[in-house]
Amino acid sequence: MTQDLNMDIAARSSIADPSLADEGLLAIAWARRHSPVLNGLVRDELADGTFEGKRVALVVHLEAKTAFLATVLADAGAKVVVAGSNPHSTRDDVSAALVNLGIEVHSSRNSSYEQWEADLLSVADTEPQYIIDDGAELTVRMAKHRPRLFDRLLGVSEETTTGVARLRTLHSEGRLPFPSMAANDAACKHMFDNRYGTGQSTVQAILKLTNLLMAGKTVAIVGYGWVGRGIATYVRGLGGQCIVVETDPVKALEAFSDGHEVSNMVAALPRSDLVVTATGGMRAVASRHFPSLKPDAILANAGHHDLEIDVDALAEESSSRVDLRDGITQFDWQGKKTVNVLSSGALVNIAGGLGHPIEIMDLSFAVQGLSCRELVIGDYEPGVHVLPKHLDDAIARAKLVSEGIHLDSVDDDQLDSMDQWLEVNP
Amino acid sequence: MSLEDNILDPGLAAEGAQQMEWARPFMPVLAEAQASAKESGALVGRRVGISLTLDATTGSLAQALADAGASVSVHSTAAYTIDAVAAALTVRDIPVYARSDADAALDSILLDRFVDGRIELLVDDGAHVTRHIHAKRTDALQDLAGVAEETTSGVRPLRVMADEGALKVPCIAVNDAKTKQLFDNVYGTGQSVVMTLLDVTNLQMQGKTCVIVGYGCVGQGIARMAHALGARIVVTEVDPVRALQAIHDGHRVAKLESVCPSGDIFITATGIGYSLTGDHIRRMKDGAVISVGGAGPPEIDLGGENPLQAAGLARAAVRTIPIGDERSVFLIADGECSNVAVGEGNPIEIMDLSLAVQLYAIAYLAEHSGTLTNDVHAVPAEIDDRVARSALRAIGAELDIPSPAQIRHAASW
Repeated sequence: MTQDLNMDIAARSSIADPSLADEGLLAIAWARRHSPVLNGLVRDELADGTFEGKRVALVVHLEAKTAFLATVLADAGAKVVVAGSNPHSTRDDVSAALVNLGIEVHSSRNSSYEQWEADLLSVADTEPQYIIDDGAELTVRMAKHRPRLFDRLLGVSEETTTGVARLRTLHSEGRLPFPSMAANDAACKHMFDNRYGTGQSTVQAILKLTNLLMAGKTVAIVGYGWVGRGIATYVRGLGGQCIVVETDPVKALEAFSDGHEVSNMVAALPRSDLVVTATGGMRAVASRHFPSLKPDAILANAGHHDLEIDVDALAEESSSRVDLRDGITQFDWQGKKTVNVLSSGALVNIAGGLGHPIEIMDLSFAVQGLSCRELVIGDYEPGVHVLPKHLDDAIARAKLVSEGIHLDSVDDDQLDSMDQWLEVNP
Repeated sequence: MSLEDNILDPGLAAEGAQQMEWARPFMPVLAEAQASAKESGALVGRRVGISLTLDATTGSLAQALADAGASVSVHSTAAYTIDAVAAALTVRDIPVYARSDADAALDSILLDRFVDGRIELLVDDGAHVTRHIHAKRTDALQDLAGVAEETTSGVRPLRVMADEGALKVPCIAVNDAKTKQLFDNVYGTGQSVVMTLLDVTNLQMQGKTCVIVGYGCVGQGIARMAHALGARIVVTEVDPVRALQAIHDGHRVAKLESVCPSGDIFITATGIGYSLTGDHIRRMKDGAVISVGGAGPPEIDLGGENPLQAAGLARAAVRTIPIGDERSVFLIADGECSNVAVGEGNPIEIMDLSLAVQLYAIAYLAEHSGTLTNDVHAVPAEIDDRVARSALRAIGAELDIPSPAQIRHAASW
C-alpha cells in the first residue's frame, strides 16, 4: 500500500480519532493470534484471486475481531469498506487502526442514530458489490435509500437470525434481486456462537457488572433455544440453580431432561435472584410480571431485542430510578421493592461485556468469509442460501487441526449399506 | 506530605458510597454480626485496624465495626485500593491510609501512619502488617492485643513465627474457618480468578487445556469453574492426598514440567513462592496464558537459570513475555493475584461470609485476648455455626433438627 493511497483512504474515511491507531493495532494482533481458522483456512481459500478488486462492505459490530476479518479480505485483494452495525459497540481505536492499514471506515463510537445511518449510506455510496451484514442493517437501508445501487448488488452474507428473517421477507416480496447467504444457519455459526459464545459471555458480563456470586443463586432462564441452553449450562456449572421458562413444549421437555427445573413465570419469579431473557421475542418480562419479582431481583437480557425486558414500563411504575454502578440501574417499583436492570435491558454480553470470545468469532467469521466467497464464485439464484455442508465441515476440521486434533475416517466396511445389512442378517 | 494525602481524592466519596450501597443487600450475614456485636458492646471504644483489599465489601466491614462502637482505621496497598471507597470511609470519619497511585515509598509511609494509630485489634491480610510490626515496629506491640488473619498465605508465616517463639500476640486463623475457607477460597476465588482471566483476554474457556498448579481450596475452586466452562483440567500437586482427590474429581494429574508444552492456560494456586518459574515458562507453547490465583509474587518467578525479560503489554493487564524462538507467553496482572489486582476481587456474597467471620473473630478477641496465648488459634466452632445459620436464614433454606432417636443413636455404641 503506498503512502499516497493510505492518505487517500484516510481522507475518505470518517472516524473519531486517527491517533488511536497503535492501541487498535495491538487489539487486532491479539484477535489474529486467537483466530486460527480465519488466519489459516479462510486466508488460504481467499488467496486464489477470487476477491481481487471486488468491492466488499463489512457492517458488523466494529471491534478487533471484525477488523481482523476486514484485513483478511483486504489481503485477498478486496476493496473493503467498513462501518459498525451498532454505534455503541464501535471501538474508535480499532477504526483508526483499520484506516492506518489502508481500509476505509465510516463509524464513530456512540454517534447519533442519524450519524450512524449517514455512515452506512457513505458505505453504500462506495457502490459495494458484496455485503457482509449484521441484522441486514446496510442491505435494508440500501433497498430503501439507494435503490439503484441496491439493484447492482451481487450478494449479501448475513450474520444473525434477525437479519436472515429480514432477507427472507425481502425475498418473499420479490424484492431481493441477488443471492444471499444465511451465515447464521451454518452449524459452525449458531451451534457455537449462540450457545457457547453468548452463553459464556452473558454469564461473564452479569458477574462482572454485579460482582456477585453464581453459586447458590436461583436463576430464571426465559427461553431455552441455543442461547438459553448455553446460559443454563454455565449457570449450573458455576453453582447456580436454573428454572427454565418456555412456551414451546418440546424445548421445555428438553430443559426438563437436561436436569433443570421447568416452570412458568408466575411460579418462577418469586424465587429467582436473577432473571435472564433469551427468547428472541419482545416483552418476555413485562408489567404483568413485576408483581411476582423477588425483591432485589436482577434482570438481564441475552436475547435479540433490547425490548425483551420492558424497561419503559418498569420505569413508569417506579417511584425512582438510580444508576447505581456501571451497567446497573436500580428501580424502586411502586415504592414496594428494589428491581435491578443490567445494561438498561440491552444485550448484556455486548453492552456490558466484551461480546463474544475471539475463538467463537473466528468460527462465525470463517463462515462469513467462505459464504461471501461462495457468492462470488458460485452460481446462486436470487434468494436465501446456506453455506454448503462441505465448507461447514472444512471450518470445523480446520479448528480441530489447529488444536492438534485429527479425526478418523469411516472405512467402506463400516457403512450400513444394504449389502452389509444382508451380510449380518442373512 | 500532609495528612490529607492519605487518600487520593475525598471528592470520590459519593461514588464510594454508591458502591457500598450496591453491596448492602448482598451482605445480610455481616449485618447480623454487626447487630450482635453492637448488642454485646464488646467493641465499644476499641481501636480496630483493618488491612485488607480495600473495596466496597471491606468498606462495609469498616462501617459495621464502627457502627458496633469501635474506633476503626483502614489500610491497603496501592494495587488493592479503590479510591472511591477510601473517600467514602474518610468522610464518615473512618481514617484510611490507602491510595491507588502510591509508589513503594508512599505505601511504606502510609503503612507506618496506620501503625501509628496504636491498633489494639488488627484484621490482617497475608500477615503483612503483623510481620511489619514484629520486624520493624515493635513499639506497636504494646497496644496490639490480637490479630485476625484473612488468608492461607498469612496463616502460614504466623505459624512459622509461633513455632519459632517469635509471635508476640494471639492470632485467630480466620482463613481456616469452614465458612471462610470452604466458600471464599473455593467459590469466591474460583469464580473470580476464572472470570477475570476471561474478562481481560476476551478468550473462551471451552476446549482449553487449563493447568492448575496446586489443588488446595483455591485450586479446587478454579478447577471446578474452569471445567464448568468447558476446559480440560490438568492438576499439578506436591501433596499425594490432594493429587488423589483431583483424580477423583475427574481431573488429570501430571508433573508440571511435563505439561508445560501442552497447556493453553496456567493458573497457580499454591500461595507459595517459586511455584512456576522461568524454567517452566520457557517450555510453554507460544501464546500460553499465565495467571495467579494464589498469593502473588514471587509465586510466579521469571528468574531461574536463565531469567526471562518481560516486554510490553499485549492488551490491558496482559503482559507479553518473549520466551525465545519467536514464541511469547502472556502473564496476567504481572503475576499479582489476578482477581483482586485486575478484577473486582471476590464476589460480594462470599465476602459477606468471610467478613462476618472477621467481625465475630475481632469481637471474640476483644473479649478473650487476655486469656489467649501468643499462638495461632482456630476460629471457635460456634462462630462458623452462627455464620452458616445466618446465611441460610437469608437464603430461606431450612435445616432439619435431629430427632431424639437420632441423637440417642449417634451417642450409642
